[in-house]
Amino acid sequence: MKRNVLIIGGGPAGMEAARRIRDYGHTPILIEKESRLGGHLAKWHKLFPEGESTEELLTSLTADMEGINYFTDTNIVSINKLKNLYVAIFSNGISVQADAILFATGFSMFPAEKKEEYGYGIYNHVITNADLEHFFNTGKDPRIKEPKVIGFVHCVGSRDEKAGNRQCSKVCCATALKQACEMKELYPDATIYCFYMDLRMFGRKYEDLYLNAQRKYGILFVRGRVSEVSEDIDGRLVVKAEDTLVGKPIRITMDLLVLMAGMSPCVENPKIASMTGVHIGEDGFFMPRDLLYRSVESHSKGIFFAGAATGPKTIPETLNEARAAAMAIDHYFKQKA
Amino acid sequence: MIDFGYSLTPSSTIEIDDADMSLFDELCAVEPDAIKCMSCGSCAASCTAGVFTDLNLRKVLLGLQRGCEEDVLPQLKSCMLCGKCHIVCPRGINTRHLILSICKIYNI
Amino acid sequence: MMRERFISGYDHFVLPFMVGMIFVLLWCIIGVIKIMVQLERKDRIKVYKSLVNPVIMGKNVRDWFGDCLFHVKLWRRNKVLGYMHSSIAFGWFMLIVIGHIETFLYIPERGGLFYYPIFFRYFMAVESTTLKGSLLFFLMDFFLLVVLSGIILAIIKRFRSKLMGMRRTTKLTLLDRVGLYSLWAIFPLRLIAEGFTAGVGGGSFLTVPVNWLFASILSKPENFTIAWWAYSIALGTFMIVLPYTRYMHIPAEFFLIPLKNAGIKVRRPRKGYALAELYSCPSCGVCLDACPMSVDKAGLKNTTVYYIRQVKRRNQPRALAIADKCLMCGKCSVLCPINISAIDLRLALRKQQPYNIEHDFSYLDKIPNEALTSAISVGGEKVLYYSGCMSSLTPMVSQSVQKVLTTAGIDFTLMDEQGTICCGRPLLLSGRTEEAKALIEKNEQIIKESGAPILLVSCAICYRIFKEDYDLNGVQVMHYTEYFEQLAAEGVIKLRKQEKLKYVYHDPCELGRGCGIYEAPRKALARVANLVPAAKERKESICCGGSLGSLTLTHEERGRITENSIRNLTANSPDRIVTACPLCMKTFSRQSEIKVVDFAQVIAENLVEKEKEE
Repeated sequence: MKRNVLIIGGGPAGMEAARRIRDYGHTPILIEKESRLGGHLAKWHKLFPEGESTEELLTSLTADMEGINYFTDTNIVSINKLKNLYVAIFSNGISVQADAILFATGFSMFPAEKKEEYGYGIYNHVITNADLEHFFNTGKDPRIKEPKVIGFVHCVGSRDEKAGNRQCSKVCCATALKQACEMKELYPDATIYCFYMDLRMFGRKYEDLYLNAQRKYGILFVRGRVSEVSEDIDGRLVVKAEDTLVGKPIRITMDLLVLMAGMSPCVENPKIASMTGVHIGEDGFFMPRDLLYRSVESHSKGIFFAGAATGPKTIPETLNEARAAAMAIDHYFKQKA
Repeated sequence: MIDFGYSLTPSSTIEIDDADMSLFDELCAVEPDAIKCMSCGSCAASCTAGVFTDLNLRKVLLGLQRGCEEDVLPQLKSCMLCGKCHIVCPRGINTRHLILSICKIYNI
Repeated sequence: MMRERFISGYDHFVLPFMVGMIFVLLWCIIGVIKIMVQLERKDRIKVYKSLVNPVIMGKNVRDWFGDCLFHVKLWRRNKVLGYMHSSIAFGWFMLIVIGHIETFLYIPERGGLFYYPIFFRYFMAVESTTLKGSLLFFLMDFFLLVVLSGIILAIIKRFRSKLMGMRRTTKLTLLDRVGLYSLWAIFPLRLIAEGFTAGVGGGSFLTVPVNWLFASILSKPENFTIAWWAYSIALGTFMIVLPYTRYMHIPAEFFLIPLKNAGIKVRRPRKGYALAELYSCPSCGVCLDACPMSVDKAGLKNTTVYYIRQVKRRNQPRALAIADKCLMCGKCSVLCPINISAIDLRLALRKQQPYNIEHDFSYLDKIPNEALTSAISVGGEKVLYYSGCMSSLTPMVSQSVQKVLTTAGIDFTLMDEQGTICCGRPLLLSGRTEEAKALIEKNEQIIKESGAPILLVSCAICYRIFKEDYDLNGVQVMHYTEYFEQLAAEGVIKLRKQEKLKYVYHDPCELGRGCGIYEAPRKALARVANLVPAAKERKESICCGGSLGSLTLTHEERGRITENSIRNLTANSPDRIVTACPLCMKTFSRQSEIKVVDFAQVIAENLVEKEKEE
């Protein structure tokens, strides 16, 4: 008997899971709130650790969409539980009966303007990591004008109780280094600083990325969190931090500041949780049944998780979780039958 | 230790074994935030008094944790208690109470 | 006409009353002497002088009647509570006054006895009725009825406080309960006692029917002495426990009013004026509902009423813990029926704390003023703008202020361009008054040297200390809300109105309750958008939770206060929250789902530039 699986979120997790679920012989129904599939990934240019092309990855993910029903520009209006079924109504008026639901809702980018002291949206030359990727893709951003001195601020809205995000966003350290190297290639004469609290280079080849950034690209590292940014008379940015290794406050004048906005829980999480009764952790991400052994299962029967919905993750981790979730869903159906 | 009748040049090593941490424990009892610091340096960078003096709250706290209070405590004298460090601290440490508590508990 | 029933003019039942009366009188006299001795010499002289100043004495009399007897402030807040308190206070007062009038009219030789006017009806017998006599008797019964109605309300309030519009009431101590029950008992017992004697001693519309009732159900209604004993014992008990209960506020407030009107302030945590305030607290519990910390049930114990209780009990550690926790938002003081200076009381205790590491601000003197600002000797019509230390964390504020000034064509200079010397308010709020003086002096020097006629301030916290504690030789200190409203009113800046937008304005504690500025920001905002009210606003506005006043509130506790404050502001679903203090803005924007903007930003966004106009 064919079973319907509703997948909420058409990012890498949702797309990968949809194909796997189809391969298990079930019917995936994928919905995505944006107008195209791919999630945040679709807005990126290249990926760490080795500058892999996003385009290629997206092509592989979307190459084989046969048998997958998907709707873009579509939101969830309601989800109701009927005995062993979930009835979901979408914003496009369609309603489906699903035997299982997979939450692949991902994350929301931390709104960098919330850290007003960094001046995003106030000063002319402050951008975010996402803005920079957009620049790499299009070559256009009025805020980037032949910069001589560039700064990357790690942990913007991550590891910050005041921003409401205690967690580490996991991917920003490596992203910052990747972007710093790319900027150095574009502007070989520029001096580039990374302001970090701890460099978390945990994955395979990440340390090589770090070494390359130092040796090949000459990126400079300052261990200290930027505390405030101001604009001088010429419109250049004056960045203040403490160089904690030297033990003295430092001030650097810059032409471009890139804020590494972190991963916040998806803003729709509370709404979806209230419809289905799944648990939300203190940090705002969905809470799986157990963080080690059942990391893709929820506390509600028939509801599963994949990807950054349960906390910041890298692309390979997300894809693996999507596959694990597909397997768990198939297993769940077999047990039911 | 055997007394050889002479001593070696004082070492610059911090002898953690010999550090008396009782005052620091007392501090943690009244302000548990004293051990929450992750040394990001935000406080020192934004410090109003730090522009004019060597005041560096991160260093003070670290110094106390290593039992080197004599080296760091005089810095606190220039603190204006303005509370900027409290606003910027990503760990939400109650820095003003921390400073006032240090001033009550420690002696220089 | 009346005559005395007993030649001696005495009966043993008056003893409990007399014991209580003398005890309370002695207690009060000693208390007054103690407070006067504890006052500083200059304060004492101030009090003596105020007592011969007809203006202040007039105010004293007005306040005695208005506050102690009629509870005018309470009436304004809550009619039922106002009636309850004034009926008991004023009714009782009138019973005593008319009792004395009766005594002096009919038997002046007994005027020196305390108990005679109180138990008048027991000692007197009516021989014939006169108009004057029945009028007095009528008045006595009337005021007894007034008091009784108040007592009934008080009993209802004790068990159903919500009916009276109070969400929470204070927990009573054991002695408070004794006082409360004896107070409840006094007047019903008086009615019964006078009811028994109404046949002989006379009565009016209330006591005479009671007398008939007793006569119809009791065989020997003359056997009434026991009722008078009970009445006297209730009075005596009430007065014996009085100094140890919250009812001490009744005599204490009579003494507090002249001290307050003489301009005396709290200097020490439990001596002098503070002692008068401590005893004047009626424990009414208005501060429980007022305090922003009450969002947590555990926060209730940190409210002013419990602070006062701990100080009275000399529980120093608890009192200090409460004093350090307080946000110093001042809401309890403003709503308090006797306006106890809750902030000053706590500050006095904070000030007393010993510190081993003393601040040393001698480095300030070594900073040349030129190094901080180019504002030295600007003179002329220039505005000196002090953006304050927080502005570097909220760059939008100082940027917007500068944009407005530039558009208005006003010549201005930034006072703290190259580094701010803190205004001193945070030190002051931490109880380190002496240390704050060094910062104040340095800033005063810079401001005076600039020669600018106007000091413009965009931080509510700085503004308050500039207004209250700085001596600036006539330099006009203006908050940007006042200044921009003035510019707009004079037509120096033109603003466009966004008819579709709804804004709510948050009154920062230091600006609103602290400096009384409520209208200027509202008037200016009404020029650019539609203002909707918050659930509670102006002097009842709820602190954002970020206040520098609190030394020990944790990040989480502050978070819950902020949440509650935001809920209060968004009661009428505004599009934006506007505030006029950088600290409020920082605090709100962390948690608010609605956009939080600074007053200056709103004004700057809606400026009509002059060129475009033409």
